[in-house]
Amino acid sequence: MYFFFQIALSGIATGAIYGLIAVGYSLTFMTTKALNFALGMWVMLGGMLTFSLSVQYGVPALVALPMIVAGLFLLGLVAERFSVAPFLRAGSDVWVMSTLAVGLLMIDFAEIIWGRSPTPVPSFLGNTPVRLGPLSILPQQLFIIAIACVVFFALDLFYRRTLTGKAFRAVAHSGEVSALMGINTRRVQAASYAAAAAFAGLAGFMVVPLTLAEPQMGTVLGLKAFAIAIIAGLAAPRGILFCGLIYGGLEALISGYLYTGIRDILGFSLMILALAIKPEGLFGRPVEERA
Amino acid sequence: MSRVRHYAQGLALAALLALPASIEGSYYQYLGIIVFIYGIVAVGLNILAGYAGQFSLGHAALMAMGAYTTALLTKALAPLPFFQATGAHIWIGMAAGTVMAAIFGALLALPALRVRGPYLAMVTIAFGWVIFKILQEWVPVTGGDLGLASIPKVQIGSFELQTHHFYYMALGFFVLALIFQHRLVHSAFGMRIRAMKHSELGVASVGVDVYGLKVLVFVISAAFAGFGGTLFAHQQNYISPDNFQFFSSVFFLLAILFGGAGTQMGPVIGATVLTLLPEMLHDFDKFRLIVYGAFILLTLYFLPTGVMGLFERGVRPSRLSLPTDALQQMGQPAEGSEPELTGAGASLELDRVSRAFGGLQALRDVSFRVEAGTIHALIGPNGAGKTTLINVITGFYRADAGRILADGRVVAVGSMSAAARHGFVRTFQTIKLFGDLTVLEHVMVGFARHSRSGVWSALAGSRRSKEEAHRNLVDARKLIRFVGLEGLEDRPANVLPYGHRRLLEIARALAVMPKLLLLDEPAAGLVGEEIGALAAVIRRLKASGMTVLLVEHHMDLVVSISDHVTVLDYGVVIANGTPATIQRDEKVIKAYLGTAHAAA
Repeated sequence: MYFFFQIALSGIATGAIYGLIAVGYSLTFMTTKALNFALGMWVMLGGMLTFSLSVQYGVPALVALPMIVAGLFLLGLVAERFSVAPFLRAGSDVWVMSTLAVGLLMIDFAEIIWGRSPTPVPSFLGNTPVRLGPLSILPQQLFIIAIACVVFFALDLFYRRTLTGKAFRAVAHSGEVSALMGINTRRVQAASYAAAAAFAGLAGFMVVPLTLAEPQMGTVLGLKAFAIAIIAGLAAPRGILFCGLIYGGLEALISGYLYTGIRDILGFSLMILALAIKPEGLFGRPVEERA
Repeated sequence: MSRVRHYAQGLALAALLALPASIEGSYYQYLGIIVFIYGIVAVGLNILAGYAGQFSLGHAALMAMGAYTTALLTKALAPLPFFQATGAHIWIGMAAGTVMAAIFGALLALPALRVRGPYLAMVTIAFGWVIFKILQEWVPVTGGDLGLASIPKVQIGSFELQTHHFYYMALGFFVLALIFQHRLVHSAFGMRIRAMKHSELGVASVGVDVYGLKVLVFVISAAFAGFGGTLFAHQQNYISPDNFQFFSSVFFLLAILFGGAGTQMGPVIGATVLTLLPEMLHDFDKFRLIVYGAFILLTLYFLPTGVMGLFERGVRPSRLSLPTDALQQMGQPAEGSEPELTGAGASLELDRVSRAFGGLQALRDVSFRVEAGTIHALIGPNGAGKTTLINVITGFYRADAGRILADGRVVAVGSMSAAARHGFVRTFQTIKLFGDLTVLEHVMVGFARHSRSGVWSALAGSRRSKEEAHRNLVDARKLIRFVGLEGLEDRPANVLPYGHRRLLEIARALAVMPKLLLLDEPAAGLVGEEIGALAAVIRRLKASGMTVLLVEHHMDLVVSISDHVTVLDYGVVIANGTPATIQRDEKVIKAYLGTAHAAA
């Protein structure tokens, strides 16, 4: 039983990362009905920048973090401008391909800049496990869970209490009507895309001390996060954190009790199944089509 | 134009046939083979994504299903003396690989039935990932990352095919795939999938089982991919999971986007350019993804409709302009075209039909009768439940309670296609047409329910399917004349004026040969003359024996053409009678104008 809880606990930390990335999909989906299909590459970029700043240049982690988040936000604005906005206006689905294309560019550029080999990035909180009763947890993992909870709580407040957040939700509901009400929908859409990129950067910053920093790290992370966003429902940010934590825990248990190879096979099959049964997600509300 | 195209195709084919003889060395033959194989997979994806509008980023996995199936099967069978002598194991393996991919295509279609667009793209990515992981992890069977080596070469009898033989074989299959694509796209099935891309509801309204259609199109597309995979396995003689990565799926989608999605030659151009491009950039292998990424972005920016799209736009601008005389003669059809087209209308009886949405009772015990061969109007203020009632009668929503009877017999309308089978066919308040399909094609899609020839007879080019197509063509022209759209048969529907689109929707519905035609606010958005034309068409429908249930706000139209009027308010029938009595009914006046007016 000890083994069970120990594994589940570390899995939950990974799940918090998934949730954080997944909320990025939700952000852009709500405002534009479009997604950054290469969001995983943005996580990778965050991770690689963390490696550069803290290992190569010795920048203190708490200085590096805001730099990375702000940097990816700005880059996200740029990427949105040329790889999403033109196609949103045309009302087509080809942003699937254009965001993927940006992701491909990022992988190759990262390999040219940083090389292909994985590199460790030490946690700024050290590696001495914290004891929680009989269980132990790395300080980095505690940090991740805490940050994820704070982010989701703040996001909830933002959506419900602030005027900008309400504008986001209004655009989510109907872009056209929001525009008529004087909301700058273009700005909201661009901001949501950039915010998703910033969250991805934050996730990258937090995940590399647990894994390794490498240009190929983004693909699987991005896919899993998407699976979680889909299972929870893209329009249900609260459900996403919950599903992320559960998914992370289950995944760790599958690895621990069965074997690692089957982990992603089960995970993605679960996502396909979830979509087949409940396309709007576990926490989403169905949208009736009008005739 | 088509002659030029024929010559170009003939020339290209001749050049490809001559290539192995004219160029020394097998490198170019090898490249050619790869182009053909990728081309076959791209054709399959083009049918799915280009024509039917269903995104897939998992085709590399379907290709892998074909490749691994044939590899395992042929390796197991090869030692047997019978197969050594005949080479039959290769063909068995290739057939099995194709079938296996088709089965997985059907599996992939299941979630695809519920989701669209980006969701579907993501499901297919996940599917591809699962297959990829299984290939990696199921080491005893798939060989894991090392893959499967020494896959038997193709042999005919005991003669083993060399590269230049294989070149001709692959070319032959590629040409065959293009011929299949051509026949499929121009068959009734092809029209249905192209229509589905634009409006699933519209296709469902003419009685097509959209679910079945989707499964079928996924299966066909997957079979192409699987077949390409089997060719790949026997050509390379070695396969590993790396051949079927996610990026290969991106490659195939890019190939059809670049070549022109939904054009017949698009996959050819896409597969050719994208196979040769990395070969030319061999020294830049480090920048492979950058090249692809940049290529995707440039394609999306500058060639949004692909190379072939550019080409087609250049050659037929005339299709987009409308002849003015055809516009003027709207609603003025030739005499005597009606009787044979529409059968006798049925009577409709609703018996205490109810439907609620959450706490909102949209319909409460609605009962009334529509006599056969009459025009029956259903009116009421906004939100009275009129469209909901049409949705219930035509199977878009299920009734919570109550019975629906046609000619006195209870009918089950569980789905739109079931309703269409009973002869209940509708038009939509917001027009659901099929984008750039022509006027003629729209009506042809309407004949779907009565089609006796399926995909296979279309692919085989059977006489029956040709005869049927010809018969439908004649009937479709009659229906187009009937609603007064003569002369516009070859125009894409999306260039028609609004009023014409309404009439086209009616023509499409008539092709289903309904017993009851339900028109949901057909006059909405029409100007004076257009309403006149619409009224003329509805009157002629009645003259030919059709029963029409008309939901309409336009009172002049209702009063002038209806035999009978039913008034709904808050989901309840408040009045029933001739137009004249309804106009004087106090409850009706109150419902429309409020109590003060009723009192005054």
